[in-house]
Amino acid sequence: MTAPAFVSVRGIEKAFGQNKVLHGIDLVLPRGTVTALLGENGAGKSTLVRIIAGDHQADAGKLEIEGEETVFRTVSQSRNAGIRLIAQEIADAPPLSVAENIVLGSLPARGGIVDWKATRRLAGKALADLGADLPLDARVSDLRLGERQIVEIARATIGSAHCIIFDEPTAALSDAESKNLFRLIERMKRSGVAILYITHRLDEVFAIADQVCVLRDGRVSLSSAVSEVNHEVVVSAMVGGKVSSGKGQYKHAPGSGDVLLRTRALTSPFFENVDLDVEAGEIVGLYGKIGSGVPEFASSIFGASPFSAGEVEVHGNRAAYKHPSDAVAAGVGFLPADRASEGLLPARSAAQNLAAPSWRKLSGDGVTVTERAERSAFDRWRDTLRIRASSGGAEKITTLSGGNQQKVLLGRWLEANSKVMVLVEPTRGVDVGARQEIYQVLRDLARSGHGVLMASSDYEDITEAATRAVVMVGGKIVTRLAQDEISVERLTEAAGGSIHV
Amino acid sequence: MSDKTEITPAAGPKDLGARRRLKVPESAALIAFLLLEIVFFAINSPYFLNWANWVNIFTALSITGILAAGGTILLIGGQFDLSVGSGMAFVALMFALAAQSMGTIPAILVALLVGVGIGCLNGLLVTVVGVNALITTLGTLAIFRGLTLSIGGASSVRVQGFDWAIVRPLFDVPLSAVLFVVVALVVAFVLGRTVFGRRIYAIGANENAARLVGIRTKRTLFLAFVLSGFFIAITGLVSASQLGSTSGTTGVGLELAVVTAIILGGTSLKGGVGSMFGTVLGLLIVGVLNNGMTLMNINSTWQQVAAGTLLILAVSFDQLRQRFLRN
Repeated sequence: MTAPAFVSVRGIEKAFGQNKVLHGIDLVLPRGTVTALLGENGAGKSTLVRIIAGDHQADAGKLEIEGEETVFRTVSQSRNAGIRLIAQEIADAPPLSVAENIVLGSLPARGGIVDWKATRRLAGKALADLGADLPLDARVSDLRLGERQIVEIARATIGSAHCIIFDEPTAALSDAESKNLFRLIERMKRSGVAILYITHRLDEVFAIADQVCVLRDGRVSLSSAVSEVNHEVVVSAMVGGKVSSGKGQYKHAPGSGDVLLRTRALTSPFFENVDLDVEAGEIVGLYGKIGSGVPEFASSIFGASPFSAGEVEVHGNRAAYKHPSDAVAAGVGFLPADRASEGLLPARSAAQNLAAPSWRKLSGDGVTVTERAERSAFDRWRDTLRIRASSGGAEKITTLSGGNQQKVLLGRWLEANSKVMVLVEPTRGVDVGARQEIYQVLRDLARSGHGVLMASSDYEDITEAATRAVVMVGGKIVTRLAQDEISVERLTEAAGGSIHV
Repeated sequence: MSDKTEITPAAGPKDLGARRRLKVPESAALIAFLLLEIVFFAINSPYFLNWANWVNIFTALSITGILAAGGTILLIGGQFDLSVGSGMAFVALMFALAAQSMGTIPAILVALLVGVGIGCLNGLLVTVVGVNALITTLGTLAIFRGLTLSIGGASSVRVQGFDWAIVRPLFDVPLSAVLFVVVALVVAFVLGRTVFGRRIYAIGANENAARLVGIRTKRTLFLAFVLSGFFIAITGLVSASQLGSTSGTTGVGLELAVVTAIILGGTSLKGGVGSMFGTVLGLLIVGVLNNGMTLMNINSTWQQVAAGTLLILAVSFDQLRQRFLRN
């Protein structure tokens, strides 16, 4: 590479408390180059780009901008140096207009008075560069998610950006929008911008990137020109020598149990024609990255969000639940993806959190329920699930660790006697030890005749616990794997499969 | 089958609560403050500790207290009802007018229907239409106050032969005070011991999560609004009976007294936390303060200043306590 490096990091290290996330990362981003950054969940991608964007500070190592050693203490220092991060989570101002959102933070003004003409001109140009046709005066809250993502991208291109970092930008975009984005990236590249592009999509890497950098467990496992590598090299760099731990293996032969859950041609704006069966004694791992439609599919089964076409059957009965309470009554349990916002009842005790779906059952007479009934419900499952909490579970749920909270939320459905378990991201935010315990619980569930659908974006969930894997990309099933075919390579390869470009 | 146990419930409960930590109840500070008030006024006024005076305190609290019972259920569920004061005046007026033309018994039915109707209207707007509860009940507050003034006119409407609330059948206690105590006990039971109460707490703690454990959140909240409407009806009848008349200014500002008592009693504005016992403490703290100040011949206008100051002090204290606990 003869192009001058705009950003260059050397030996970056970072720890959060005891947990060391980055162990000495080197990365060079030359002007006029697209660098793809890949890695599994928890590999350290987000931490690395946040350090470059000034959101986190490195513990060791140095950051150079055009050869000069620099320390960013705030995001605005990084912005002033011409670095823009387009984060995965949309951070816009929904009640403001598209134009205002695009110039957010750098509103053109003369003597404290907003220059609306300049605002519209700047915003209009940024959108035109993206090939996007959005009304400048529309409220951002009225836009689709993908359109909001485009507004975010447009904002990053305003002003003198020398380096743009995209964090999985195409997850919410349509194929046409993605193609427009790639064209914009190509133009920016030609005008000398250094681009860092985080993705899990291998097809995108080979379509737009010049160099590729793969992180694994906080270290660089591959750094090379894209022309010198192929799919297999990248996949093996992502997953390394990882094999399933083989601990407590549980086998299930397909066809040996009753079908507890069946979907046929299930369709919504997030997924299309999904056919899936879950048998008693089976743990079906539904694997998909951001934008795959996997969590939306799971919540549609439970009646938490609607589907537009297709059928769901539970225990052989047509099941189009209008409300989660119908699903609960039919013996379906649900573990939501976001524990804090959808799972926990934060001000309540661990016992009440576990008893919540079963209050009517615990009441006996259907009206009154005692703390004693809740305590004994909690104690019924405390040892089985190895929940580290006091007997009776009187403490607030929020005082438990993430793993124990998750076990309480699983215990909910055991107490409710649900035979079908729909679990989304069952090990998210759970430490390593508790993770193995949760896998063990899932195997025990399957062994005792439950049907488990495990929807996850973490391959370890699938390789460790699933008896069958189904991979979704862009809302469609792309691959089905039998238990002995499941491997990290197969999953990563399938989830990086091509649907656009 | 391998090394692990099946998913089966563990055998009977062992060492129930043996490791439960000793903790200071959150109401301890409120009880301490109430005792402080009592000691202070007992020293400063020879009449304060008389039985008759305590009957007065409870009687003065009866209307606020019954409304606060419904308000506590709503606020624990994360909702509000500001229409209680004007709703009560409207119920009382409808009762008075109906009593003049139809007689007392049908008029009581009319009052109950009107109160429950107000609750249904609020509940419908909040749970079905999806208007924020604060806005909805601010609107219905204005509507029913306006209707009461328009229909009732400037003068007050007399109510005759309806003085049950001031009857003192036992221990010199009027029925209105008895009714307050009964309502408080019933609501304490509903919140603490029933499935409905548990669901209200769950919805207040996290409405999203409550829905995902199969609770019909909207239906439950609608019922809570209807309950609040029922209590509005009851207080309309109490008010008409106590005053022997009703007018356009009956119950003005009552919603603030109700909310003050509930929040003073430790119910969180965010929902999910609180109890009827706390609300009763909050009611007593304000009631005792007003009563004591009256006995000490302090002008009643200062009582409002004191109640407002107390509310802010109590909530600030609670904020500081939570910050202290977190560190």
